[in-house]
Amino acid sequence: MNKRLTSLLFILASIMLLAGCWDRRELNDIAIVSALGIDKVDDELLVTIQVINPGQVATVKQGGITKAPVRTFQSKARTLSEAMRKVTTFSPRAVYSSHLRMLIIGEDLAKEGMGEIIDYVVRGKEFRTDFYLSIAKNTRAENILKVLSQLETIPAHKLSSSLKLSEKSWGPIETIEINQFVNELVYKGIEPHVIGVEIIGNPEAGEKIENVEKTKADAYLKFGSVAIMRKDKLVDWLTEKESNGLHYALGKVQRAVINVPCKEKKVAIETIRTNSKIQTKVDGHQFKGTVQLHIDGAVAEVQCERMDLEKIETINLLQKKAEEKVKKDILTAIQASQKKYEVDIFGFGEALHRSHPSIWHKVKKDWHSHFKDIQVHVDVDVKLRRIGTINNSPLHEMKP
Amino acid sequence: MLDNGKITANQYKMLVLLFTIGSSILVAPTALVNDAKQDAWIAIIFTVIISILLVLMYIKIYSIFPNMTLVEICELLLGKWIGKFAVALFLMYAFILSGELLREIGDFTTTQMMPDTPIDAIHIVFMGVVVMATLLGLEVIGRSSEIISLWLFILLAIYFIAILPQIKIGNLQPILGEGMKPILFGFYHFISLPYLELIVFLMIAPFVNHQKGAEKGFLVGVIIGGILLTFVVMFSILVLGVENTARQIYPSYALARKIEIGKFFQRVEVIMAGIWFLSIFYKLTISFYAFVLGLSQLFKIKDYRSITLPISMMLIVYAIAFHPNIVHFFEFVHNIWPLYSLTIGFLFPLILLGTALMKKRQRHVRGNR
Repeated sequence: MNKRLTSLLFILASIMLLAGCWDRRELNDIAIVSALGIDKVDDELLVTIQVINPGQVATVKQGGITKAPVRTFQSKARTLSEAMRKVTTFSPRAVYSSHLRMLIIGEDLAKEGMGEIIDYVVRGKEFRTDFYLSIAKNTRAENILKVLSQLETIPAHKLSSSLKLSEKSWGPIETIEINQFVNELVYKGIEPHVIGVEIIGNPEAGEKIENVEKTKADAYLKFGSVAIMRKDKLVDWLTEKESNGLHYALGKVQRAVINVPCKEKKVAIETIRTNSKIQTKVDGHQFKGTVQLHIDGAVAEVQCERMDLEKIETINLLQKKAEEKVKKDILTAIQASQKKYEVDIFGFGEALHRSHPSIWHKVKKDWHSHFKDIQVHVDVDVKLRRIGTINNSPLHEMKP
Repeated sequence: MLDNGKITANQYKMLVLLFTIGSSILVAPTALVNDAKQDAWIAIIFTVIISILLVLMYIKIYSIFPNMTLVEICELLLGKWIGKFAVALFLMYAFILSGELLREIGDFTTTQMMPDTPIDAIHIVFMGVVVMATLLGLEVIGRSSEIISLWLFILLAIYFIAILPQIKIGNLQPILGEGMKPILFGFYHFISLPYLELIVFLMIAPFVNHQKGAEKGFLVGVIIGGILLTFVVMFSILVLGVENTARQIYPSYALARKIEIGKFFQRVEVIMAGIWFLSIFYKLTISFYAFVLGLSQLFKIKDYRSITLPISMMLIVYAIAFHPNIVHFFEFVHNIWPLYSLTIGFLFPLILLGTALMKKRQRHVRGNR
């Protein structure tokens, strides 16, 4: 009897579990947010969310787009939580942000200070930390999110995969995840930098579905410059050369191209892997920074005539020229960060913290002023490993 | 002896291991990194070494009275009334420990996984399983721990291997940059959770069928558990960085969120939740079991099973009522728990051991006369 009663109790208890879950979310009840844009409009936050339109994404695969594959919703409020909830007043589905790919901040907000929006995205349980952060250059974040993209149907996926791809193949670009940004916001010896995204072409044309029907889109999105920040405020945009130098120094460059001059033309060297090390040494009362960079490379393209690639001297010469080229970029970036912007984006302070913690604790309060005057020694070491599938260029023996 | 179950030394080892990592595996990095920054991993290794000494003390008590639970030892050594008072203090500790663990489960689930589910529902369902295990007895708990720990090891292996590509060695530097003081603070907080809590195992040790095996199993379990915890703390620092780890409420869960191999092996943080649920289930079951067994021994109740269900209801109420919010819970764990644990987990057995050795010597002296 007693046994029967207990088993009955357990059956009853399991009904509670089997009936389902309190927090279920059916796929057709949620609006999957692929990108989130935040701007500041007269003291309020303007939130733009790009929501995937699942029906349209499916039809694309069967051929032919009729409607836009994404929709954007906007709402304005004093806090982000409020704005996100206000969206439900006109969106038929509940906003679901676990699949967020991109977080885009408007330039105005970034200039004013984007600290206020950070807490929301790291505190909320729906936000994972694997999305990329970017700042809209010369425009608002809402405009970026409205541009439709080619090849990838969902613009946010286009942005995130193009960012990931160009990080691998193009020096000036790198992906910034929210965690990295937050860490750099907190650490005293390094200042954050964020990659910028801009609209090329006519923004209004980009909103229409016709934009993706042409071979050359009227408007498209492009990653380019790096925004450097002091704390959470945007200071300025680095030039492409400076961005390049910054990423080389930080070891963020994987595969990139170094153009080396030969006569009037160029030789292109592709980097295969790079390895960098930033250190800060203490010499009496002076700080000395060093950047050590090793690059493995290969010859990718030769434009000039009469260059004998079969000789080791030529390779040595190319190596030396490539070293100089990269060194110059890095020095330009360091110069700019020390003199023009006075922001330690390289993390020489953090390097000092790692190597000389006790000294660091004495100077960390005004590291800012120390950083301006540290001497930085840049040491680049390029090793050309291969020259491609042919030895000498046809140009080498081209008839005069 | 009230319970008629017996467990093997290996099962005992697994229980100790599960107890050590349960709950700590999820929250340990935050507290440690808050105190010791980059050197949290040194603090943890230091703690593990000290905890071996602590466990040796527990083993010593056990080896003097291999067939008695802590409650019986206490009454024997301290006399009827003082003994009963001391037992009541210890049992209160076991009860509060169980309540805190239950609350931790509820808080984690409602924060990270099911925000709309009332915390009571989670407590009741989880406690239901714990009550079931307790009613089935120590033998069943021990045997299931052997099966479960295999799964636990597989999950942990996946977890550790999958996170490897994300590590940044630089995050560990500077080593010993802040000096020894932060490490000692980390040690102070970390030894109370989980190591001083291991005292509840003195309630279970007499049910191991092989005395020497139990002694060895206790030590080995603690060491393996310590190594696993060291890995978790190290990986948290290596991947998330110091500041980020210190900011997370559940750092190892945040760590699991970072796992991404290729484009297909990602969003597997539930692995971590699985590891944690499995291990905290055993931790809660053992401390709950120790409590009900001790209580029935204290009041000379024939079978602890008759009081299991009512006590579990008390525990559910305790878990909800004691902390008004999660911040209160953290303050309690951070400020009060270490001192409380030191009293019950260190001072109390030390007094017992001292009394035992003294009585032994007296008897020895008397015998010689």
